[in-house]
Amino acid sequence: MVFADLFFLYAFLPLCLLFYFACKKLKTKNTVLIIFSLVFYAWGEPLYVLLLLFSAAFNWFIGGLIGKYQGQTKAKTALAAGVIVDVLLLVVFKYTGFLVENLNGLLHIGIPVPNISLPIGISFFTFQAISYIIDCYWETVTPQKSFKKFLLYLSLFPQLIAGPIVRYSVVEKEIEKRRSTAVDISEGAMRFIVGLAKKVIIANNLYAIVTQFYGDVNKNQYADISSLSFLGTWFVVICYSLYVYFDFSGYSDMAIGLGRMFGFHFNENFNYPFICKTISEFWQRWHISLSSFFRDYLFYVPIFGKTRKYLNLFLVWFCTGLWHGAAWNFIFWGLYFGLFLLLEIKIGKKRMKKWPLVLTHIYSKLVIVIGFGIFCFSDMTQLGNFFLNISGIGMFVNGTGFADPITWSAFVKNIFLVIFAIAVSTPILQQIKKFFFEWGNNVVYITGKMAGVVGCMLLLIACSIMLVDSTNNPFLYFRF
Amino acid sequence: MDNNNTPVGATQHPSEGQAPKKKKSFNSYKRASVKQFSSVLSILIMLPVFVVMIVFFTCFPRSEVSQIEKRTLAKFPEFTIENYFNGSFTNGINQWFTDTAPFRDDLKNNGNGLKAFFGITTQDSVNVVGDIKKVPKKTTKKTDETSKASQVSEQASQASTQTSGTEASKPESSAQESSQTVPQKNYRELDAEYTVENGVIVVNQDGHYRGLEMFGGGSGNAYVDSLNSLRSNLDSKINIYSMIVPLASEYYTPANFDSYTANQKEYIDELSSRLDSGIKTVDAATVLGKHTEENIYCRTDHHWMPLGAYYAAQEFAKVAGVDFKELSTFKPETIEGFVGTMYAFSGGDVNIKNDPEDFTYYIPDNYEKCKTDFYDTDFTYDYTGSYFKQVGDPQSNAYLTFFGGDEQIVKLRTDVKNGRKLILIKDSYGNALPGYLTNSFEEIYIVDMRYFKLNLVDFIKQMGITDVLFGMVTYSAFGNNSYELPDLLTQAQGETIVDNYDSEA
Repeated sequence: MVFADLFFLYAFLPLCLLFYFACKKLKTKNTVLIIFSLVFYAWGEPLYVLLLLFSAAFNWFIGGLIGKYQGQTKAKTALAAGVIVDVLLLVVFKYTGFLVENLNGLLHIGIPVPNISLPIGISFFTFQAISYIIDCYWETVTPQKSFKKFLLYLSLFPQLIAGPIVRYSVVEKEIEKRRSTAVDISEGAMRFIVGLAKKVIIANNLYAIVTQFYGDVNKNQYADISSLSFLGTWFVVICYSLYVYFDFSGYSDMAIGLGRMFGFHFNENFNYPFICKTISEFWQRWHISLSSFFRDYLFYVPIFGKTRKYLNLFLVWFCTGLWHGAAWNFIFWGLYFGLFLLLEIKIGKKRMKKWPLVLTHIYSKLVIVIGFGIFCFSDMTQLGNFFLNISGIGMFVNGTGFADPITWSAFVKNIFLVIFAIAVSTPILQQIKKFFFEWGNNVVYITGKMAGVVGCMLLLIACSIMLVDSTNNPFLYFRF
Repeated sequence: MDNNNTPVGATQHPSEGQAPKKKKSFNSYKRASVKQFSSVLSILIMLPVFVVMIVFFTCFPRSEVSQIEKRTLAKFPEFTIENYFNGSFTNGINQWFTDTAPFRDDLKNNGNGLKAFFGITTQDSVNVVGDIKKVPKKTTKKTDETSKASQVSEQASQASTQTSGTEASKPESSAQESSQTVPQKNYRELDAEYTVENGVIVVNQDGHYRGLEMFGGGSGNAYVDSLNSLRSNLDSKINIYSMIVPLASEYYTPANFDSYTANQKEYIDELSSRLDSGIKTVDAATVLGKHTEENIYCRTDHHWMPLGAYYAAQEFAKVAGVDFKELSTFKPETIEGFVGTMYAFSGGDVNIKNDPEDFTYYIPDNYEKCKTDFYDTDFTYDYTGSYFKQVGDPQSNAYLTFFGGDEQIVKLRTDVKNGRKLILIKDSYGNALPGYLTNSFEEIYIVDMRYFKLNLVDFIKQMGITDVLFGMVTYSAFGNNSYELPDLLTQAQGETIVDNYDSEA
């Protein structure tokens, strides 16, 4: 099940909220959450829910072992076993097909490629589990004694299938003790609706533009773009970049909002990534829970020794790319960013700060947008066409032309949507809100709040109407 | 990777990357109670709205049929152990819940209306929907006939090398089926095929919106081979005609979109040049081209208008050398407010929805003297009914007026006694033709190329057919539908065909 779905909005969620708030004791509230979370997961994965349960039990057990043998070699062994099993699960369920295919290609052999379907959200909950056992080992958290409470952490449905990767330390205290205040509920609900609108109104309709030109890229059904014009390729890749941002950050908003309603305070996952000036800043603002995971658990771990920093950088970005999907373009995408980060380290932060603002913005936006082109095409032929078109070489090689009437039609038809999407991807609305709230008195504050509430209700209605039209509405990050 | 000096293993960065923290302004303490108050107020506003929405989506009567999409909506999934474990049960519940939302069609229309705010629609703007590709340019080897006919576009018609043709024709076949193959009770069949993936552009001309399907070409080999093979299998006294009708995009595509649709006239002429000399070609494209200011094509539907079919039928009668009556002798009937398939094909373009058209069809003067017999696709007699049907919801199904659909064999018996018996092998475009030929032939058999289950050669011989007309749109002649034609010649060979209507009578 996904959040942007009428059945979730008007059947699953109301029931969950009803039972949750009908219960008085935290213990029963937790039970309600676990049951609904497992139903939520089993709804999409009736079999793999067992895998989730296994992962929870196993990592809880490993955490317990580490706690018991703290400081001894046994703890280290337990940690190693835990990490190996977790990574192995991920490899088996996510990368087997990819590995076998490449092995076959490399050695010219014919091992049958197994058809293992990817368990929803495995990339997210496995990373949460890994972060938990490593934190236990580093003694930054106390191993959870109760399996039920650990299961609640790992299976909590708001963040279960598409992130953010919530660390145990973030919710450790709230699992034991939390309450949903009126502020939590109202702000959580509004945050959820804003996320829903980002997904349903902005992302889905941007994706319609992408589909028209590039094909249904989320399903790996690529259109032949060899005849797409120069401006057309640019327009669509910009729409695609915005789409990925609104799709994914919308999901994070919904997760954070839902969590808030239940009294959890998750970390932010996005911080207006497109206003960055450098690529390293981009990754401090984009999918923060993932980049900080790799930073803390992979980059600062001296696998290649402390001196070989660049080898580690390479490893981190190889993994970041691979995490996004079992295909070469994702690996290229990761390494592509690694390359620019290396470049930025070499140039030096201070020197880059002296660059004119316009230049840094042009530089970073170019790298990001072209990066999303790599992210988009796992079909190497089309990726090649993409580079030909976007560089303008296609105009001479394939005779694609500078502009075309189809792109113009799509541009005019969606001009407000695209402008609005670009505006909302910057903190401009937040700034306006902040200005009014700081400047105004209580009447202004309450009026503003109520305007926000009414706006959210209108968004909810608009989203519901638009959702009727989509019997099929998959999230991009859903299968990662 | 960032360069901050977070110590190894530190997990204390909840603040990192968070939205800008609220500064404690001088009145922030006073604000705490105000915040509390406004939050309670917010919940008091939101909760009732949410409850109303829940009641609406769960308690109101569920939709069962979508007129826009022309299909019955999803049913609640059946529970079996297998369904449950492969996920189709739970997934089916979500699908069902969304698909059967109360007032589905109205909500969809509203949703499409909302999308109009995303951009600008001006009078001369063109709305492009779906996957439209440039028709690949090939070096032209124009034969004499094609160069005569091609002034509009420089598109080549090297038919055998066109690649995008089969792709382009796929949606058409589903389009035709969804709009009229099946009478309303049998909508189920169309479910999966009804997706909007065809290239459609919506243009505004003479103050009205018109949806146009682009034509991607195709080899037409199956069509040519089948007709030539049929020719060699039939006595030369039996006439065979080929009439391929272009899509509306042939006449109404704005010039700057020329490279996205192939020149259909060129394709048709090139194909005709490959037909056996014993097959007569009916040049409908030229005839229609003379009447483009009249209502010869639907604006809101993927079919032609009955008026367009009239001109084509007239040209056919001329080639076949049969009598043909003037349009003035026919009695016009009009269905007002027709909005056809183009609304859905265009992904719900509200301009189409808000610009309905009149669908006028023409009833021949000898209609009362004609009998229309309906048979199954294997030629089992079903019933005798009327050629022009009253259809349910004519505002969206007007084209079904012609005997209600495709999946059947129709026999039209007229009061003419000239010894000529016609068989029309057609797609849905062909449905509009026979009504004009009731003064031209004694009997007309109307069979759909997609559903006919008998052997065509045997049928023609045993029924004593004198004239064979292939009448269809370019999509069918060049696309997927044409692959049905070879089967018509080889399937069910050597069977004795019995017209069990006659035996009953």
